[in-house]
Amino acid sequence: MTKSKVKKIIALVLAAIALCLIVTGVICLPMRNSEKGQDIIADLRIRTLLNATGEGVVESYVAIAKEEARVAAKAEGKGMSAIRKAVAAAEEEARAKYSNFEVDYDAIDPAPLYDAVAGYYTALKAYEDCKAEAEQAYYDLMYPAALEKAEADRAAKLEAGQDVPETLTVNVDMSGFTATEEMIALQAQENTAYESVGAALKTIYPVMDDAALETLQKTVAGIVYEAGADFAALYDTYMAAGSKGALKNTFGPFLIRYADDVIYLAVGLLIAALTVIYSELLIKKLGIPRVIIGLFFILLCLLSLFFDLELDVLLSNSLVRMGMNSIMVLAMVPGIQCGISLNLGLPIGLVAGLIGGLMTIQFGFPGWGGFLFAIAVGCMIASVTGWLYGHLLNRLKGEEMGVTTYVGFSIVSLMCIAWLVLPFTSLKLKWPLGTGLRNTIGLDNTNFEHILDDLLSFNIGGFTVPTGLLLFMLLCCLLVWLFGRSKTGVAMQAVGNNPRFAEATGINVNKMRIIGTMLSTVLGAVGILVYSQSYGFMQLYTAPRQMGFIAASAILIGGASTSRCKVSHVLIGTFLFQGVLTLGMPVANMLVPGSTFSETLRILISNGIILYALTKSGGASRG
Amino acid sequence: MDKQVNTNKKQFEFGTFMRNNAVTVMFVVLCIVCMCFSGQSIQYVLYEMFSRLSRNAFIVLALIIPIVAGMGINFAITIGAMAAQISVLWCIEWNIVGIPGFLLAMAMTVPLASIFGFLIGKLLNKMKGQEMIGGLILGYFANGLYQLLFLFIFGNLIPLKTPGLVIKGSTGVANTISLDLGGKGTLKYALDGIWNLSFLEAIYVVLAVLILLTVFQMLRKRIKLEKAFTILGCSVALICLFQVSTISNFINNLFALTKVPMVTFMVVGLLCLFNNALLGTRLGQQFRAVGQNRTVANASGINVDRVRLIAIMISTVLAGWGQLIFVQNMGSFQTYGAHEQVGLYAGAAILVGGASIRKATNGQAILGCILFHLLFLVAPPAANSIFGDAAIGEYFRVFISYGVIAMALVMHAWSGIQKKKKQKAAKA
Repeated sequence: MTKSKVKKIIALVLAAIALCLIVTGVICLPMRNSEKGQDIIADLRIRTLLNATGEGVVESYVAIAKEEARVAAKAEGKGMSAIRKAVAAAEEEARAKYSNFEVDYDAIDPAPLYDAVAGYYTALKAYEDCKAEAEQAYYDLMYPAALEKAEADRAAKLEAGQDVPETLTVNVDMSGFTATEEMIALQAQENTAYESVGAALKTIYPVMDDAALETLQKTVAGIVYEAGADFAALYDTYMAAGSKGALKNTFGPFLIRYADDVIYLAVGLLIAALTVIYSELLIKKLGIPRVIIGLFFILLCLLSLFFDLELDVLLSNSLVRMGMNSIMVLAMVPGIQCGISLNLGLPIGLVAGLIGGLMTIQFGFPGWGGFLFAIAVGCMIASVTGWLYGHLLNRLKGEEMGVTTYVGFSIVSLMCIAWLVLPFTSLKLKWPLGTGLRNTIGLDNTNFEHILDDLLSFNIGGFTVPTGLLLFMLLCCLLVWLFGRSKTGVAMQAVGNNPRFAEATGINVNKMRIIGTMLSTVLGAVGILVYSQSYGFMQLYTAPRQMGFIAASAILIGGASTSRCKVSHVLIGTFLFQGVLTLGMPVANMLVPGSTFSETLRILISNGIILYALTKSGGASRG
Repeated sequence: MDKQVNTNKKQFEFGTFMRNNAVTVMFVVLCIVCMCFSGQSIQYVLYEMFSRLSRNAFIVLALIIPIVAGMGINFAITIGAMAAQISVLWCIEWNIVGIPGFLLAMAMTVPLASIFGFLIGKLLNKMKGQEMIGGLILGYFANGLYQLLFLFIFGNLIPLKTPGLVIKGSTGVANTISLDLGGKGTLKYALDGIWNLSFLEAIYVVLAVLILLTVFQMLRKRIKLEKAFTILGCSVALICLFQVSTISNFINNLFALTKVPMVTFMVVGLLCLFNNALLGTRLGQQFRAVGQNRTVANASGINVDRVRLIAIMISTVLAGWGQLIFVQNMGSFQTYGAHEQVGLYAGAAILVGGASIRKATNGQAILGCILFHLLFLVAPPAANSIFGDAAIGEYFRVFISYGVIAMALVMHAWSGIQKKKKQKAAKA
């Protein structure tokens, strides 16, 4: 048997299994809301209810036994301690006797209980819905005042030079909330419905008295109605309460419960089948790392669905993170094109951008004016430093990568000293005590926080589209793409591809390299500002050190090499890399709670891909 | 006339010396300035210097062989340090302490570091000419694997029984590992604590060994008589000098706090001898040949990839041992951070000593280690007294570490390109 035949067979088997699973899932999924699904839930609910009330019944029995023992002991004329002893003995005896208390579920007639619970459910739901609505209305009424107060407090604290948390927390005082008339009426109805449940319970447990019923009301209400719970949640709750016995056939309900996961599994299998068939084509077209990371991304998507995480919110977050990182990744493009390889000295541009941002806050320029000012200042500084940096790199042709890394590191640590001594005076920037600027500087709506993210943004379900951010990203990409089509851009790429040829055709190699380096540095400055406005904080000190690596790995994931890249690599790579990181964190937390797995994942992916690129570019050619 | 020529020649020599050792001279000046401003007593500085030298010298010496083999500064020694930390973790878990524990940790480091070194070498052979950046990023990558190992495998999949190694309620191995967690004793000072002498006594021991060696060499007639007598004379003169009570008191006063861990320095000395001996063997010649020109080495029948692989493996194992010495001196280590800066600090230190990324000697390594750690010691207090903020000194020394490496790389690349240009010009 040839290799391709084996592949085909594996793919067919996978696809066949996937098809079966899809059919099962599609049949089972609608059953959740059909009569069958509701019956399953009703069965489980009654059993859970009986189990829970059964415990109350045991308590009733124990109480009766204790009372009897006390009366008996008193009648014998014993002392207090003897009475206490007798009562304790009776309690122990009663608990032992009823420890295995269980209703014989086959012997009882649950029909009246079913009806009563159904009625109670309707009444309870009506009441809870009404209550939630009324509370929300009250919250909305009180929110503006609370917000104003919180903002005033924060401003006052800042004024007084105290340290404030970086995010604003608004506490709405709900203590003034009173029940509406409608709620009171509905509550009365609910109580009546509960009485009928109580009556039905009494027929099953003759020993149960009104006092026990009263104490049980909250438990029963909790079992019968859970706000916003769908089939899956109810099923899980009841199963966890040990009501499995209520179902005669457990496999059917199980399938219905996990119908969605079955479909996800099937989709995963289908993708696996397709990958197996087209594996060679995929690897040839995309390269092994991109195939692996792409598949890993799909796996994370399926896993997040499997764990019932909100995939739409997660994808929306990855879109935002793609936008905020994209400009920094874009900064790699001119660098690679002009032949300085991966610009790991990107921090040179980043600190320029940070200085621009700091100046905006220092001078208190608000909104768009402030953001554009920051960009302008950042670009000015970056073009000067980029020019110098370009001259340095021109003297080190062929050895750029090692040098750029360490020059970048040196600049970051030099700037660490600068952050300590630069003469900024704004209290938003400085530590209230001690010298120097804060580690992270929180942006707020008085400067440029989320200025691009919130521009024209809209929601589709849980999916928020940061329109302004994406438009800005596309605009920058378009500009870089257009530049690549211009005369200078073409000359620059020629220098990157083959410096000797370029020199022979009369292109000024050094000048082109300087242009590329400057452009890369400037884009870095813009990139960090876009990143900061979206993140909501500006990070100083050692934070920019690793950002060059992150940007470099993103473009490599997108399919670039150390000597060749396109703008499309930026978009694909940033989305995949940031997507994997965004999805990786919650999924990893489901697998290993409270872990820093996502950070480890970032380290592995980011450095792994750079290593891979180095092995591809490295000079195995020279003996 | 004659005189003038002579002085001219001297000036010229002085100029080249300055140019060739710019970094070292700058560091000496920096150290002296910082020391003047630091306001610390010289006794304390000398004491700290000796303990820092004893714990850091070994790992700096581990860098020499890859430099000679033309692979630049081996930043992947971080991975050797990781191997050492894994060994130490298990020694603590098995509760083997003292000298046996240290020897076991050394023994365990060898296979681990060899395997790691093998893999590093394989990878670096695929990126010739980019070894330094490759090694750096490989170190970062390995750090990710190390985190996987210590966060998710040790303490979870492979249970650790020793209390304190794993903190309840969090995943993985604790952030700090103290070497006495086992309860039976400690690995701390396992090597340093064997034999401690005061500075003057240590000098006597060193001189005695020197005399013995010289006499031995004389008897075997391996050494010129003239040189031997000079050494012997100097040693005896020094010993006599120390008998003068004012001088010995002065020295004793200067090194009042200093305790010299003889065994550790002996190990460092042995490594120096090993480096020299190895470079004298056939393998050592091959290192040099590969380091000078891979193509020529290949043409003359040397298996270049294999030689480079061996160089990296030796360096990784030595780095592992170096980290063991470091850890036993400190008495505890940061599980997730102790290895991170090893490559950076060692690399910067050897460059400060006057090494380049193509040439390095034992002396440069030791000198660099002394100067670099002296600056580390005095920079923060100096910055505190000059700027009123110790943090500036902290950042300054990090800047210096990166800056020194960046400068060495720039100088190297520059001189390489200059050479090529000259060759071109010569051809034309």
